[in-house]
Amino acid sequence: MTETVVKLTDVWKIFGARAEEAMTAVRNEGIGKPEVLERFNCVVGVQGATFEVPRGEIFCIMGLSGSGKSTLVRHINRLIEPTSGKIEILGHDVSQISETELRRIRAQQIGMVFQHMALMPHRSVRDNVAYPLEIRKVSKSKRWAVSDHALGLVDLTGYEDRLPKELSGGMQQRVGIARALASDPEILLMDEPFSALDPLIRLQLQDQFKALVAQLQKTTLFITHDLDEAIRIGHRIAIMKDGVIVQIGTPEDIVMNPADDYVREFVQGISKLKLVKAHSIMEPLDSYSGPTEGAPRADEGADLDQLIDLAVNTDLPVIITDGGQDIGVVTKPRLLRGIQGGKND
Amino acid sequence: MTDATAELKVTAASDIEVDRDALDQSIKEFAGPNGDYYVNAFHKIHDATSAVPNTFNLWAAVLGPFWSASRAIWGMFWTFLILEIIAWVQIGRGAWGNPGADLAERAARQQDRANELLGRAADATEQADVDRFTKLAENIQRAADSSLEKAQAAQSEALGIMITGLLMLLVFKLVQGFYADRIYEKQYSNWRIDPESTESGRSNRNIVLGAILIAAIGPLIVYKFTVNASLAMLDAFPEKEVSALILGEGQGTLFSTVATWMEAQIDAAALAGGDVFDGIVAGVRSVLDGLTIALIGSPWPVVMLVICVTAWRAAGPRVAIFTASSLAYIALLGYWDVAMETVALVGAAVLLCVAFGIPLGIWFGKSKRAYRAAEPVLDLMQTLPAFVYLIPIIAFFGTGNPPGILATIIFGMPPVIRLTALGMRGVPESIKEAAVAFGASKWQLLKDVEVPLASPSIMAGVNQTILMCLSMVVIISLIGGGGLGKEILEALQYAAKGPGLLGGFAILFCAMVIDRIVQGAFRREDEKV
Repeated sequence: MTETVVKLTDVWKIFGARAEEAMTAVRNEGIGKPEVLERFNCVVGVQGATFEVPRGEIFCIMGLSGSGKSTLVRHINRLIEPTSGKIEILGHDVSQISETELRRIRAQQIGMVFQHMALMPHRSVRDNVAYPLEIRKVSKSKRWAVSDHALGLVDLTGYEDRLPKELSGGMQQRVGIARALASDPEILLMDEPFSALDPLIRLQLQDQFKALVAQLQKTTLFITHDLDEAIRIGHRIAIMKDGVIVQIGTPEDIVMNPADDYVREFVQGISKLKLVKAHSIMEPLDSYSGPTEGAPRADEGADLDQLIDLAVNTDLPVIITDGGQDIGVVTKPRLLRGIQGGKND
Repeated sequence: MTDATAELKVTAASDIEVDRDALDQSIKEFAGPNGDYYVNAFHKIHDATSAVPNTFNLWAAVLGPFWSASRAIWGMFWTFLILEIIAWVQIGRGAWGNPGADLAERAARQQDRANELLGRAADATEQADVDRFTKLAENIQRAADSSLEKAQAAQSEALGIMITGLLMLLVFKLVQGFYADRIYEKQYSNWRIDPESTESGRSNRNIVLGAILIAAIGPLIVYKFTVNASLAMLDAFPEKEVSALILGEGQGTLFSTVATWMEAQIDAAALAGGDVFDGIVAGVRSVLDGLTIALIGSPWPVVMLVICVTAWRAAGPRVAIFTASSLAYIALLGYWDVAMETVALVGAAVLLCVAFGIPLGIWFGKSKRAYRAAEPVLDLMQTLPAFVYLIPIIAFFGTGNPPGILATIIFGMPPVIRLTALGMRGVPESIKEAAVAFGASKWQLLKDVEVPLASPSIMAGVNQTILMCLSMVVIISLIGGGGLGKEILEALQYAAKGPGLLGGFAILFCAMVIDRIVQGAFRREDEKV
């Protein structure tokens, strides 16, 4: 297991004048969200969030608007102070550090990208990207070099001296990403970065972003309200509902074993072709009694799409192998059920 | 799909039945007492297709404004209270008022005089006197007859006036009767939308209020307009009597007492804070002196050249040409020194406004509470007529240019404060959040994000402030301010048309030149962003 970069332990956020009292009541009496609103006139933003993100992982936080995902992620750079709980970055408890140290961490270790770009309209693209460095009082020549390099990473070379308003939405968001990368942070916080873009640009940027993060090995917390996006980008996904993390798991986990009806409803419409792997739908070789002579073979990591390609030309099942060893078979009924999302007969 | 959707059937608009029960319930809830009557009346109104009213509210007609008050229809109450009072005044004039009273009185006086003259004629011994008195008596008798005739005519008109009044009253009653339910139905519609702030039902409070208003207003007005010699107390507020009642006989009026007290307070404050006020005046004077030395102390060709080049660089060649010709007008008519004094006055006022106004505006933009506290003061600074605060300024700061600048600041500072605060509040939260997320400190946030993004608004505020200060420059000559304002004040005092107009144009040109240069400079700034 690689090093844990971000670790949240039982983080709560309650908004309102009487948040502390409400928190005590939640601790002692275990009251829920509606009672907190009724008794203390406080809104529960995040309830007991606990998770760890290892280095290099893209951790998606998925939820509908108002589910508390933006609130949760703002705890990590303390744009929002938690009501209770512990937040650690590389082993340091961020709620304990001083104001100066916090600013240093924000400037050096955490890059953030916002839904509405939030570029400064009066500064050139280059000066926008260089702003985190300017805050740290890096010399101008160094700043310019770094920001030109970051703009190169997002394919914006040649636009350095333009003003943000001269760029399209997709380009502006790439400037936002370059700005987040400029100070070479450990952690990237992406707050619905692609939500305001049109679908084609969004797909393009998702791929570009995924490749970039893989190359740079950045630990990323990626907020989205779009499960498709979470599945495309995320190594793991946390699904939030009303401030609670309902389920954490890999895309395949979530699609194949939804934790409750809420998640099930979400994953219903998701295409399983690229997600579901052979090993999760195969039956063991010994329990299968039909003919296997001349059947096609596939690795256990093959997805449904590949299995369909193999199965379409034969009446025989597909034999699944692991390291050259036959371990199971996928019959036509199993394959079809797998496409449906693992519904049982 | 769920069953609900399957059962949903489409009905043609003409087949839809009106569901009365829910509506009846709601109308009853709204109307309170007499609910059934209003259910019926509102249904008639709802079913009506023509514009002619088909309901008649007897009680609204009989009780008039009292009915509308009890139902809290205050617009209708006031309208018909006034109209009914007008009708009642006519009725009163006809019934017990005496329209020809003064004429009849005059006729009686003339009759007496005529009789007296006739008596003297009878007593006279000489024929000439007899003729003279008889002639006079005849003339006066004729006048008396004519007055009496007019008085009788007026008397006979009384009946006509009374009938007019009665007819008016009848019409108003009918209108109220016919329209009462319609107006009440409008109130019902409003009540459905906003039940919190629309009054409904019939409350004792409204009944009492209506009764008091009618009782207080109606009889007094009718009395005042129908009785010939009404009480003097109703004609003018008896302030002297009230003063005597409060302060005791012979102790002067409330006005003189309060005014004397305030004067003493201001004198005491001016004496107590003398050093502070002197310090402020000294500070303002030093700014003004600096500008005066630059503008008047420097050789005039230098100043002219600098102004023209500034105009050209800031606002382009057209403004530069306009500036040069304005300066030529000012210089050729001998206004150069006074005009530069005016510019120095305005410049000092604007500098001080900006130096204090922008930081205040930033503070008010960030703190809602501070802004709420300051807003009434800013309103006061802008709405109080300049003449009012010139007086305390003289008391505290004396006369001359520095107090004039202080008066100008009072008038000119609010726009820059307001627009700076507005600009600060208009900076998008998302951009501020981004800067904070990248580690910006409060100062960096202000310097790199908030002020630059608020700057268009701040610059608009500065421009407003400059124009306000320019318009104050004439007024401060009243408390000894110099410059072109003084020239104009002198021209005004001697009604000197020529000098007044020439000086006026000089001020106009100063104002236009400054405005054009500043606006041009700001426009160039704006284009950058």
